[in-house]
Amino acid sequence: MFNPLPVVMADYRRNRLLVGITLALIAIAVAIGVAVIAQERALRQGSARAADDFDLLVGAPGSPTQLVLTSVYLKLQSIPLVSGEVLDKTSRARGVRYAAPIAFGDNWQGHPIVGTITDFASRGGTLPPTEGTLFTRRGEAVIGARVPLALGAQIHPEHGDHHEADGDDDDDGDGDAAEHHHHEHALTYTVVGRLPERHNVWDSAILVPVEDVWAIHGLPSGHPAESPQLGPPWDAAQLPGVPAIAIKPDSVSAAYGLRGQFRTPQSTALFPAEVLNELYATLGNVRDLMALLAVATQVLVVIAVLMALLVGFLARARQFAVLRAIGASSRYVFAVIWLEVSVLVASGAAIGLALGYGASWLLMQWIAPRTGFSMPVSIGGEELLLATTLAGAGLVIALLPAWLALRRPIAEGLKA
Amino acid sequence: MTHGHLRLTDLSFRFAGQTQALFSIQNFELAPGQTLGIRGASGAGKTTLLHCLGGIEPVTAGQICWGDTDISQLPAGELTRWRQQRLGLVFQDFHLVEGLSALDNVLLPASFATWKAPADLRVRARRLLDRVGIREPARRAELLSRGERQRVAVARALLFEPPVVLADEPTASLDPENRAIISELLCELVREHAATLIVVSHETSLLARMDQQMELRGGALQEIVATHPDNSTIEGKPHV
Repeated sequence: MFNPLPVVMADYRRNRLLVGITLALIAIAVAIGVAVIAQERALRQGSARAADDFDLLVGAPGSPTQLVLTSVYLKLQSIPLVSGEVLDKTSRARGVRYAAPIAFGDNWQGHPIVGTITDFASRGGTLPPTEGTLFTRRGEAVIGARVPLALGAQIHPEHGDHHEADGDDDDDGDGDAAEHHHHEHALTYTVVGRLPERHNVWDSAILVPVEDVWAIHGLPSGHPAESPQLGPPWDAAQLPGVPAIAIKPDSVSAAYGLRGQFRTPQSTALFPAEVLNELYATLGNVRDLMALLAVATQVLVVIAVLMALLVGFLARARQFAVLRAIGASSRYVFAVIWLEVSVLVASGAAIGLALGYGASWLLMQWIAPRTGFSMPVSIGGEELLLATTLAGAGLVIALLPAWLALRRPIAEGLKA
Repeated sequence: MTHGHLRLTDLSFRFAGQTQALFSIQNFELAPGQTLGIRGASGAGKTTLLHCLGGIEPVTAGQICWGDTDISQLPAGELTRWRQQRLGLVFQDFHLVEGLSALDNVLLPASFATWKAPADLRVRARRLLDRVGIREPARRAELLSRGERQRVAVARALLFEPPVVLADEPTASLDPENRAIISELLCELVREHAATLIVVSHETSLLARMDQQMELRGGALQEIVATHPDNSTIEGKPHV
């Protein structure tokens, strides 16, 4: 068995710069493709995971996307309120395990304060606090895993969304506007519990009894005056409107029934997954386009690299002829050329796969705080297929210069 | 010894598309262990003849027998094996593999047939390098002087102790000092190994070391019986 490695390694050593550039070009081309695919999937999985806690959303008629972004991803913006009557009906409807009002408008140092009920805070008892307890009376708060507060800490809620308030400051250019949009309420919450990490924006949220949020804003509390009760059953006459209602249905069939039941002129009902699917379809189209561009880039890079290698091999015809003349078989020379190209392309593809994963991970670190959910970056079948297809194509295409070298007579090569 | 016995019969070579033969040699014989120097004007066909003798260039007609083997009739695979086992080649431009050390260059022919050179072959390669005066066998080929490279090339040609050594202008690209060193080394080493040596050269001092000298002129080999210092033949007889 012959050993072409000494010549292959010598050629690599002699052409370090060219080898480095070739590897870098192939790796970058692969990395772009891998990053596009991995990032899109991570975004899809991360966003879907964030929506897991919201089986069915009910809100005022309007933009479904706005309703999902506001309630699921806490991208707080002004949306029309659904009436207290609808909240009461959802709480009493058949097939509902719980119907939780989601009310916002206040924050503590940028952490959104969300008024709701304990069933939602514990996701129907499936999410017990890691520390302390859920809120059981007015003035208590349970915090997300990433809220930097200890149990027993006092929270003075500020009105308005933190970032929105900052924006107003900039717009107005004076402190009065900030004071107007960003004032402290008289109520103080006491932290009584901390929820486990959910890897989404709710880890930064502070959950309080919805009755307190209503009271702070001068609204009825959903119960007779001075009643200490939290959550349902509500007093329909005392029930203000809310931005959204998160419903946990008993079953899939109940979910579909409820969706139909609350699609009325007064309210809209939707599965967040439906809205996400529409977003993914758009995202998928963009991804397909980007993937196509990435593949086109790869093909162009590989063709350019192989053409350069081919020219290089043709220029080295004399070296191969000398090897043949001093006793190397045609298979030996074939193996030298094929290995040189194949190892380069396969190594470039492998490095590109790692680079693509690294780039996706870095991008995730940058995107996650901006989207409010963590994205599980992984290398999937598509990316592996991309890299292995390229490597495979390299192995096949490498046959061309090897075959061309074989066809050339030794004497002709020696005269080259 | 018989592997180094050369016999040419009705040999002719013509390039494709040409009507006239570059050379024709009816009968020629060289005893094993003999040394032959061939000279001739540029374009006379010296290098092509050498390539034919080494099975690198196929002949148009005739036989080239090294010992009992007519290499002009060998299939490609067997011809490659014959070159591996029986032939040592030295080129004008050395043709070492840059990126490999002097030792690895000498051992390169071993990689054509085995994954790892056996220990005794490695010892032999080191001895050969020592014999040709290379004191740093681990030095990379591109870092060696031209004279050193040609010495490595000579050692490479002799790794398997081939019965046939062909050298094409082995001193042409060297300075006078190295020419003398390489000429002496080449002749000494092939004699030590009892190999048949055929050298194509313009170098009088190198040709003068050969047992026989011939000139390729007008497509035929002519024996030179004496040479002027200016390289011109003063007496010769055509070899048919």
